[in-house]
Amino acid sequence: MIPAAKHDIAPAIPGRRGGGRSFARKAADSLTHAVMEVLENEEIAARPGLLQGLDPRVKLLSLLLFAVTASLVHTVAVLVGLVTLTLLLAAASRVSAWAFARKVWSSAGLLVLLLALPSATELITPGSVVVPLGPLSLTSAGLWGAATLVARVVAAAGFALLVVWTMRWTDLLRALSAMRLPGVVVATLAMAQKQIITLLRTVEQIHLARESRTLHRGTAAENRFWVTGRIAFVLRKSLKTADDVYDAMLSRGFDGSVRSITRLRMGAKDYAWSCAAAALCAAVILIDRLVAM
Amino acid sequence: MHIPDGYLGPQTYAVLDAAIIPIWVIAAKKVKKTLKTKQIPLLALGAAFSFVIMMFNVPVVGGSTGHAVGATLIAIILGPWAACISVSVALVIQALVFGDGGITAIGANCINMAVVIPFVGYYLYRLLAGDVPSATRRMISAGVASYVAIVSAAICAGFEFGIQPAIAHTASGQALYAPYPLGVAVPSMALEHMLFFGWVEAFVTMGVVAALTKSEPALLQMRPAAKPLRWLWGALGALIMLTPIGVLASGTAWGEWDSAQMKARIGYTPHGFDRLGGLWKAIMPDYSTPGMGNAAVGYLIAAVVGVIIVVALAWGVGAVLAKRREAKAVPPESVPSG
Repeated sequence: MIPAAKHDIAPAIPGRRGGGRSFARKAADSLTHAVMEVLENEEIAARPGLLQGLDPRVKLLSLLLFAVTASLVHTVAVLVGLVTLTLLLAAASRVSAWAFARKVWSSAGLLVLLLALPSATELITPGSVVVPLGPLSLTSAGLWGAATLVARVVAAAGFALLVVWTMRWTDLLRALSAMRLPGVVVATLAMAQKQIITLLRTVEQIHLARESRTLHRGTAAENRFWVTGRIAFVLRKSLKTADDVYDAMLSRGFDGSVRSITRLRMGAKDYAWSCAAAALCAAVILIDRLVAM
Repeated sequence: MHIPDGYLGPQTYAVLDAAIIPIWVIAAKKVKKTLKTKQIPLLALGAAFSFVIMMFNVPVVGGSTGHAVGATLIAIILGPWAACISVSVALVIQALVFGDGGITAIGANCINMAVVIPFVGYYLYRLLAGDVPSATRRMISAGVASYVAIVSAAICAGFEFGIQPAIAHTASGQALYAPYPLGVAVPSMALEHMLFFGWVEAFVTMGVVAALTKSEPALLQMRPAAKPLRWLWGALGALIMLTPIGVLASGTAWGEWDSAQMKARIGYTPHGFDRLGGLWKAIMPDYSTPGMGNAAVGYLIAAVVGVIIVVALAWGVGAVLAKRREAKAVPPESVPSG
């Protein structure tokens, strides 16, 4: 069954006393987390807020335009301005700025910081040394480059997260359908998302069943063989489900053609937002070029 | 291997986003022809499986875990075109629902994981397994193919990162996007996947193929290879035309230094290196064409010559092997009885 809300998911069974979590338990927890994340995203997207109130097409294209603008900006100051804009948009969309910043930094910021810092060393980016650390001395040009990369990734990840958090999946599909994406693609995306949740729940239950049935954790080799066996099971189940779904579609009269009944209408708010977003992006690029000169 | 937003400059992601669209169109046509009306549920479930396989943590060593991409496995079961669409759908959902992988980098991620892995993996598997493979040969072929495929995709991702400092930098040479040059980015990505993720991918693919060989052998039946590898010639031609991009890379690839560069790096030239280094004088040194002033054209000519030599050698070896196979398959009545 596909859970409709967070309370449809049974709480995870408590872990064993002593020692860390087994790999099966860790996997079950991460799968629960993934399903919860989807449901939380849907809850946030259902709140009344600035971005949630926009036409899905306008929202998708404008946030994509902001992400592209972030990729065109070269100065740290302007990128920091874009990062601030993501926080403001999150707050205006009834999203906790703290939760938003934490999610962006945990998913993109810290990783890119770890990757960018080595590039600031004299080995990769020669230049005047500002932090002498022998062969790993940090140069001013290197630190500037690392700061630009981190700010750009955080800004772009912020706009991407705003799409994820303020757009219901059904709205996204309506937007894609209205943007003349082939019906087969939209139908496949819609069905795939539902089946992902179902399969995630199945895999989570497989791991919890193993956790609750076994007394010892098993060696890494035993666990590897167990995992590949389960992947084979999930593959067979996927193909069987595809057959069942197809039979169900045929029995309801499916003839291979996909029709959309999507009717989206843009209001004054959508036109105003589109103009504001386009003007803001143009202004950001202009300011960036002026600052860079 | 999911490239986030901000690592690739617009010159790269725009090209790759544009490049993936015709591939999706061709894939959709091919799949429609083979799967007919069943395509939607099969592709959706293929995408769901592709997504979920990445959530399976495979225990490795010392309590650490890794995950497989599974694209070669899906290509073996559904065919490379269907795998291309299934993995693409999974990647789009990962980007738009879970924020994993960039939105602007969707084209790059799909080229690496939904095109390179399924096609390299599938055709290498076909080549190694042959038409009627034994269970062991099938399993080993799947493992080798998935390993090579994921390392190939990692090299592509490393190449995409590595060209950034050359094509997008400030007037002072400062990189604007991914900061590591080809000489660092490609070996890092390749080594990481050769030493760790490649083995996880191979183990998972071999394990699942072994399990399916026992329980559902019909799923692994070889598809008839009509018009075999014809598309490869087009891809090979496109790759040859792209070779002048190699001229953009400054410096020498990591570990391929000549004696002067070696001396500059470590302060001396090892004796054996000095003695054996000049033993063979290449006809086209450093992929250049003697007498050709334009480096890009020289690079292109070197690529064409290299491909002709490799194809001729492979053709020759293939012809010899085919003759031997024919000789082995002599009908019983023509064998003289004692």
